[in-house]
Amino acid sequence: MANINIIDIVAVLMMVTSFAVFGLRQYRHSIQAYAVQTLLLVIIFLALYFKYGTHELLIWAATAFVIKVLFVPLYLMRLVKQLNLVVEDEPVGGFFISPVVALSFSLAVAMMLYKVFIHFSLFQDVLPLYAASFIFMMGIFGFILRNSFLKQILSYCLFENGIHLSLALMAYSSHELVEIGILTDAIFAVLIMSVLAKRFYAAYGSLDTSKAVNLRG
Amino acid sequence: MDILVLILTVPFAFGMIMFVMPLRFKLLQNLHIVFSVIVSTLLLSAVGKVVNAEELSIFHNYIFLDSLGAIFLSLIAITGLLVNVYATTYMKWELEDGHIDIKEVKNYFALSFIFTWTMSLSVLCNNIAFMWAAIEATTLASVFLVAVKKDKKSTESGYKYIVLCSIGLAFALYATILLFSAANGKIDGEAMLYTNLLANAVNLDSVALKLVFIFALIGFGTKAGLAPTHTWLPDVHAEGPAPTSALLSGILLKCAMLGLVRYYAIVANGVGFDFVQTVMIVSGTLTLFISAFFLIRQHNVKRMFAYHSVAHMGVIAFGLGVGGAIGLFAALFHCAAHSFTKALAFCSTGNIARIYGTKDMTKMGGMIRIAPLTAVLFGIAICSLVGVPGFAIFVSEFLIFKAAAIGEQYLLMGIFAIALAIIFIADFSHFFLATFGKVEGEVVHNSEMKFSENFPLIALAILIVAFGIWQFDSFTFLLDESVKSIMKK
Repeated sequence: MANINIIDIVAVLMMVTSFAVFGLRQYRHSIQAYAVQTLLLVIIFLALYFKYGTHELLIWAATAFVIKVLFVPLYLMRLVKQLNLVVEDEPVGGFFISPVVALSFSLAVAMMLYKVFIHFSLFQDVLPLYAASFIFMMGIFGFILRNSFLKQILSYCLFENGIHLSLALMAYSSHELVEIGILTDAIFAVLIMSVLAKRFYAAYGSLDTSKAVNLRG
Repeated sequence: MDILVLILTVPFAFGMIMFVMPLRFKLLQNLHIVFSVIVSTLLLSAVGKVVNAEELSIFHNYIFLDSLGAIFLSLIAITGLLVNVYATTYMKWELEDGHIDIKEVKNYFALSFIFTWTMSLSVLCNNIAFMWAAIEATTLASVFLVAVKKDKKSTESGYKYIVLCSIGLAFALYATILLFSAANGKIDGEAMLYTNLLANAVNLDSVALKLVFIFALIGFGTKAGLAPTHTWLPDVHAEGPAPTSALLSGILLKCAMLGLVRYYAIVANGVGFDFVQTVMIVSGTLTLFISAFFLIRQHNVKRMFAYHSVAHMGVIAFGLGVGGAIGLFAALFHCAAHSFTKALAFCSTGNIARIYGTKDMTKMGGMIRIAPLTAVLFGIAICSLVGVPGFAIFVSEFLIFKAAAIGEQYLLMGIFAIALAIIFIADFSHFFLATFGKVEGEVVHNSEMKFSENFPLIALAILIVAFGIWQFDSFTFLLDESVKSIMKK
């Protein structure tokens, strides 16, 4: 019973941190919120391992800790330092409206999705399944609503966390190479997007992607 | 060594070798051609084994080659080889004109092998999660084939490409996870293998399968260029080098479509063909009309062809929507026909951009006098794209009409005819603008390219005509077997 509560509490905390990643204006704080969220993801993996005895999740927790709690945040922090960035560019609809839109729509979509997922999930933990869909949608809305390229990279990381949690709940028994393949893609995506972000900054003088209007029609 | 192991190792190794080669263009050019020939030979020998009814699978059936995969692998082999050979010429011009430096050329050649490797992997995966990872990897491998330069436009195209495709494919990953969870414990054997899922599709929950297909359509449809998530495609195809556009349009879009076709097969056999056909008809019609609307307004030759790619992915979706054995045959045939045609179209834009120094068709004209062979090759591409009889694309479009007529889907025939008519008018008006009349702008290179430079384009043109007038037994065998596997007959 205690484990169930821990998993639910951590799932809610993950949702809160996804809102923080989305909404915090200072890049450093946003990246730190992402690191905390991934640490919470690792805790969920461990809690599920203790609850259900699934050894796969122990390995998942270790790889997620090294790659997503340590490597990715440190790499993004380095990028922020290199480009001397502090505060993100104005998002679509402004700093107040965009989190409200993302939050409300993500809650609504997650409400629909988790009801389907719960039927087929290997673990029948309702709140984490809901949280996984919510985090995924927050990531998607991050891409749509935030203009900063770095915030969009963080949004990619967000929805990747949502998918990772879904994978652990719904398909942990898949071959371990599946998780490795998906994680490898995620790392390369972050690295490549970071290189593009540097080029973008060099070309446009900022990371504001709303300035990218040279190709239209 | 198993041929599939070679396919999964050799292109990657060639890519790595290219990365460490010295910065000498002649050496890089020759190596690129030799390596491309070796890779294509390997791919075609694997296809040959499938044609001879051999079953190819390794790693506990996680990697396999069926007739469906063999069609797409042959596109990687044939279109890929010809475009790669043309790429050496194109890069030589870019180098001479100072648009690019030798290091960027080397990286381009190296990445093109990594790109080929990821595309081959996506075709060979029986495990649907591996397939997803491979398709996502194709995006990552090709970003810097698109954003070769570091200027604003190049960076913007690379940015739009990776962002939109990553968002789209995230939905496809959700489809993968949901399909696995819906199948796990309910089917015999591994629930992530396409072959097992297809064989046991009838045992899967219909609500889950419908959601899976919608997610897969959003995901793979984004990558394949289906509307309304096609918006990355014109920017990326128009901005990247001509050989990159040819590779993306000629092969990559088809690899994403293969992913969708595999989901189409599983879901159709689980919930019935009516559902998937209805969804594909809606998607195909939307794609056809949106692309036709934008096509009319284009004056940039590469953007025009990019919207063509969207339109023809719409044709493939429409073929899958009309359905039946003939509709599916037509959709798969269209993948090959469009691959050769679009590779020729984009490669000819490389020649055209060299002649006029611009991609704006309103500043062209008189091409038939300046470079008659290029004008003819450009004309062949246009004729095939609009479905003139005797060219490859006519065959598949005619078969889609036939499938609709047999199914008494007269409304669909009408819709399809209207969309094709708009595309026909738009294309020929642009073609005449560029090819005949007076030169409206500047002529930078006032002569035809050398025969050796045009050779890959001529080979593609021959393939387009050959597939338009001739029936190749081995290719038809692969198509028939694929249709049977999808329909489980």
